Amino acid sequence: MPTHIKNNIYAIIGNSAAGLAAIESIRRVDQSSRIVNISNQPQRPYSRCLLSYYLAGQYDKDILWIRPEDYYKKYDTEVLLNTAVTGADIKNKTLEISGKKKISFDKLLIATGASAKFLNIKGADKKGVFVLRTLEDADGILRMLPNVKNACILGGGLIGLRAAYALKRRGVAVHVIVKSEHIFSQMLDAEAADIMRQHLEVNGIEISTGLEAAEISGKDSVDGVILDDGNRLDCQLIIIGKGVAANLGIVKGQVKADMGILADERLETDRKDIYAAGDAAQAYDVLEEKNNVNQIWPAAIRQGKIAGLNMAGEEIKYEGSYGTNSLDFFDLAVMSFGVVKPKGGGFEELIALDAKRRLYRKIVVKGERIVGGVLINDVERHGILLHLALQKIDISDIKDILADEYFDFGKVIPLIKRQTNLFIRPEYKDTCVTYSPLY
Amino acid sequence: MVQSKKIFCDITRCIACRTCEIACAVEHSITKDLFLGMLERPRPKKRAFVFFLERDVSRSTACQHCEEPPCMEACMSGCISKDEKTGKVDIDRSRCVGCWMCIMVCPFGIISRDITDKNKALKCDLCPDRESPACVDACPTKTLAYESRDEFLKRIKQAKKVYAHSHKK
Repeated sequence: MPTHIKNNIYAIIGNSAAGLAAIESIRRVDQSSRIVNISNQPQRPYSRCLLSYYLAGQYDKDILWIRPEDYYKKYDTEVLLNTAVTGADIKNKTLEISGKKKISFDKLLIATGASAKFLNIKGADKKGVFVLRTLEDADGILRMLPNVKNACILGGGLIGLRAAYALKRRGVAVHVIVKSEHIFSQMLDAEAADIMRQHLEVNGIEISTGLEAAEISGKDSVDGVILDDGNRLDCQLIIIGKGVAANLGIVKGQVKADMGILADERLETDRKDIYAAGDAAQAYDVLEEKNNVNQIWPAAIRQGKIAGLNMAGEEIKYEGSYGTNSLDFFDLAVMSFGVVKPKGGGFEELIALDAKRRLYRKIVVKGERIVGGVLINDVERHGILLHLALQKIDISDIKDILADEYFDFGKVIPLIKRQTNLFIRPEYKDTCVTYSPLY
Repeated sequence: MVQSKKIFCDITRCIACRTCEIACAVEHSITKDLFLGMLERPRPKKRAFVFFLERDVSRSTACQHCEEPPCMEACMSGCISKDEKTGKVDIDRSRCVGCWMCIMVCPFGIISRDITDKNKALKCDLCPDRESPACVDACPTKTLAYESRDEFLKRIKQAKKVYAHSHKK
């Protein structure tokens, strides 16, 4: 790659997935410019997604540090930790940080992430009410644990149930209160959610659906939660898992935003030289076919990487985002992507269920293209389906075997021969060079 | 830049004998012996798979060590890396937490859950103790080769000239 001497100042707010990926991709093409990374976190970069593993006691704190200690030196990046950005002047390209200091920039990446949504009910300010988003949250919960026999989790999504799993592994009695009729109402269809619910209950996690917390009781500290049906549960710890919301505060009113900062094909906002990536950004979702926030690790890395390259003067088009997730509870794995609960016409669902072996596969098809899917237990081929969906491959030739237990990559190779131009990765071609079908 | 080597498969030569799968598991055993390996616990596991494309048409497939690995971008513990020089994509087992994000995004479906051995993601490591991967050395029909993409394409082109009659429709 040709390296031109550049003299830019790149400011990157946030040092999680998107921020780090941007630093790394900028340095691939520009070794001379200044990079300033600002984070309100006091620690060196860590992975939020691993907090529940740390909370569960499965791994030491060391597992959280996703980059080496000399990371910023290696990438020749000035870092301002424990530093809040208190104001942004997009027009004059300056940031104001805590202590009233100013930083000017040529290009800015807003990778400010998202924050856990809090619950505004009576008593939510008591000691013992937590979210699980930062290392401080996890450490705060861990400090309380010696005095916790019962915990209540409010929310039946990914964070809520990962927190429940972690506490259960620590020997705490856990009760999960879910407002929807099913757990994982965002990520799974009802059928898959019921399989997972049964599995969690068999392993000792109590779950109540269709209920909401009305009030948190206790003096200074939590001693219970009162539900909207009037019942009361004793608990000394409450974790709220009601999802996350993009952190838009710094640039509010200055760049176009919806649920996240709107980012175009190059991950640039509606203001020139201002880019957005990660949990704070909202980009085009190729499976839902609309603008969408997909606040997941892989999307943050990909967006950070592409935003970084474009900031450094490359012209790279973002393929678009998509929703997908992977979870594992007591050795039962579940994954899903794209549209799992189709609404409206034109969808076809391919379903295979073997309840005894807890095998479930559902693939959602629209116009002979895969748009979503859910797999339980036998998850190894999830990625094959995901990439068929992302590349908009016509799957009519293999539709009858897609949900089959014996489906594997071999069955995709004839499609690569027939729809060569749609399969983008060079590795796809490598697999079928010597394949000469007789038709 | 020198093209990195990886395992290529000549589909016209594969007879689905699964010797590659066995050689892979044996190489990743403690005893490195087929029979003693059967007694090991956790049991040695294969990272290569024989897939059928049609009836009687098969190929051996393992990690493709992608130029832009989706698994590396998806890994939330940062335990997957790509060696800039050799092109090899590697999983650092000590940092893998078994979240399966790599499996979730692998276009080839060749990463496994090693649930009998500490719940880690498992895939082809190109046999770090050997000059050439065990599956390649063991293949009785010389279906597999450890070479660069250019070398593979050149070799296949020449072979097609020699055996042109066998490729006629």
